[in-house]
Amino acid sequence: MEVEPIPQQAQEKIEQVESADLVIGVVADLDLKSLVAVCDSLRALSGSPRIALLRDNHSANPADGRADADANSGGVVESSASSYIVPWPLSQPDASGTPMLSIPAAYQSVFAASEKLGARACCVVASKLETASAEWIGQLAQPLLEEDADLVVPYYARHKFEGLLNSSIIAPLTRCLYGKRIHNPLGPDFGISRRLFEKMIGSERGANRAHPLASLTPTALCENLQVCEVYVGARIYPPTDWTNMSSIVSQVLSPIFSDMERNAACWQRMRASSYVPAIGDPIFVSQDAGTVDISRMVESFHLGNRDLQEIWGLVLPPSSLVELRKLGRLPLEQFQMPDDLWVRIVFDFALAHRLRTINRDHLLKSMTPLYLAWVASYARDLETGGGLALEQRLERLSAAYESGKGYLVSRWRWPDRFNP
Amino acid sequence: MWQQIKQALAQSTARFLTRFADLLPGTAALILAVLISIIVGIILAAIVRRLLASMKFDQRLSHWGFASFSEWSPASSPTLLVSRAIAALVIVAGFLIGLAAFDAEWTSLLARSVFAYIPNLVGAALVLLFGTIVARFIARGVLIGAVNLNLHYARLLSIGVKWLVVVLAVAMALEHLRIAPGIVELAFGILFGGIVFALALAVGLGSKDLVTKSLERDAHKVPSESIEEPFRHV
Repeated sequence: MEVEPIPQQAQEKIEQVESADLVIGVVADLDLKSLVAVCDSLRALSGSPRIALLRDNHSANPADGRADADANSGGVVESSASSYIVPWPLSQPDASGTPMLSIPAAYQSVFAASEKLGARACCVVASKLETASAEWIGQLAQPLLEEDADLVVPYYARHKFEGLLNSSIIAPLTRCLYGKRIHNPLGPDFGISRRLFEKMIGSERGANRAHPLASLTPTALCENLQVCEVYVGARIYPPTDWTNMSSIVSQVLSPIFSDMERNAACWQRMRASSYVPAIGDPIFVSQDAGTVDISRMVESFHLGNRDLQEIWGLVLPPSSLVELRKLGRLPLEQFQMPDDLWVRIVFDFALAHRLRTINRDHLLKSMTPLYLAWVASYARDLETGGGLALEQRLERLSAAYESGKGYLVSRWRWPDRFNP
Repeated sequence: MWQQIKQALAQSTARFLTRFADLLPGTAALILAVLISIIVGIILAAIVRRLLASMKFDQRLSHWGFASFSEWSPASSPTLLVSRAIAALVIVAGFLIGLAAFDAEWTSLLARSVFAYIPNLVGAALVLLFGTIVARFIARGVLIGAVNLNLHYARLLSIGVKWLVVVLAVAMALEHLRIAPGIVELAFGILFGGIVFALALAVGLGSKDLVTKSLERDAHKVPSESIEEPFRHV
């Protein structure tokens, strides 16, 4: 999806603002009152920064009331001295609700606007959290302006069955590859320093294009920039669209695997992992205990195991295929995909993505039944567990990723020779 | 009388020898053309074999979904098959060039008509190859999509779609070769319609139970079952 960073209509609005210390792009659906509160809280930061808050046109709500006439008619609103709310075409309307589809364009826009306004930092707010917006957006911005951080990553309070693609692949893979324990490397809410967004703009223009969202964390880690996490509340996730599940898996994983290819020289050097500084106090949410229905996911795996062997056979080594066949014979109540098998599957699919073994979209979509099998096993493990069990379970998975890194490096370097 | 017989015999011998002598350069040219084409064919085949081997053509072909190609290749190597096919083509071309060296009208006509048919052959081969590639690609996409939608007849659907495209490609190739176009058109219509009908029947009958179950589930649904799915992926 090629989007012009600063559309013509937005150029004029940005000229009214002239300059800003901090640019905030708001893709999330927030009303004008909340946005004004965000500006007020940000102005309390040291040095009273000049703020330009880019509000997504698609989220502008005609029922906002009061001084929204300007905002809704497309004009710039001066919320207070040195704070501006600028209506901006940040995102493309996306029916699937997948952040990977709608948000990258917003990131490009915010980077371009920040460069134009000479901002010291920028933030993108794409989620709605259970906590008050003004508070946590301020937390994202503060380390950028006061502590010289380059990338501020949110550490959302987590419910055990939410953000599963992140828990199962993205976070542990990032930890294993780049050696930093970042819990939400794909955001989608980030605080970004000028140093980092300039690098991102440069890499977007280059031949080897980086993904504006998926490449943020890997770029910061490979460039040895300062990365920190801030504890924020629980994120409100969109409900699962089961009919579109494989497309979501494909769209989320494709830029992650492409980034692996781009940063291969960097991650092959990394060894053990370490924590990044975390700001604030951890927020815990209550975990529901009770049985969950995993039969649909297990059925999907059985179907894949029966019909997709031909495709999986091109990607996975014989040992993994044998294990999958054994897994297919287990009854529902004993169904359990071992973490080390899951980790090898992810690595093998990443390698097949790099080698273009088959069409990339087909490849990643064919991974969906395997992903659902892991989710089913994970759900069975945590059915009755609370917050501590969740942390232990995810730590066990991350450890499996780290101990499997040798396998990944060998297969990556010698894809033909190393085929266990 | 004897003189006349001797003269006729001498004339016929001279005529035969003249005709035979006329054929000799053509024969020599034919032999030479075939020999040269054999040498060129062997060299070309060796070059193609090396090129394909360096590209790991055999492995790539099986990755692209043409694993069955190696089953009917000599020594299970599609590289060998392609290189030998190229060598055979060059030798056949050399033979036709040699044949054209005879001044006889029929040989020229034969060579001309064979050469004129070559573009049709190449076109048909390309249509067939492209059709097979497209059929496999679409079939794989349908299979993955159907499995992800939890359809139990995913494989059947995928095979049906594949054969639809293959039949279309074969019909187009035969049309290109101008082989009994009327029959091909009719046969294609019958086959294509037959496959669609068979697919519709199979899917319809296969999903009968599914629809029944779905209706039963709806009928017996109690409000407590409408608990929101707890899983959130992205």
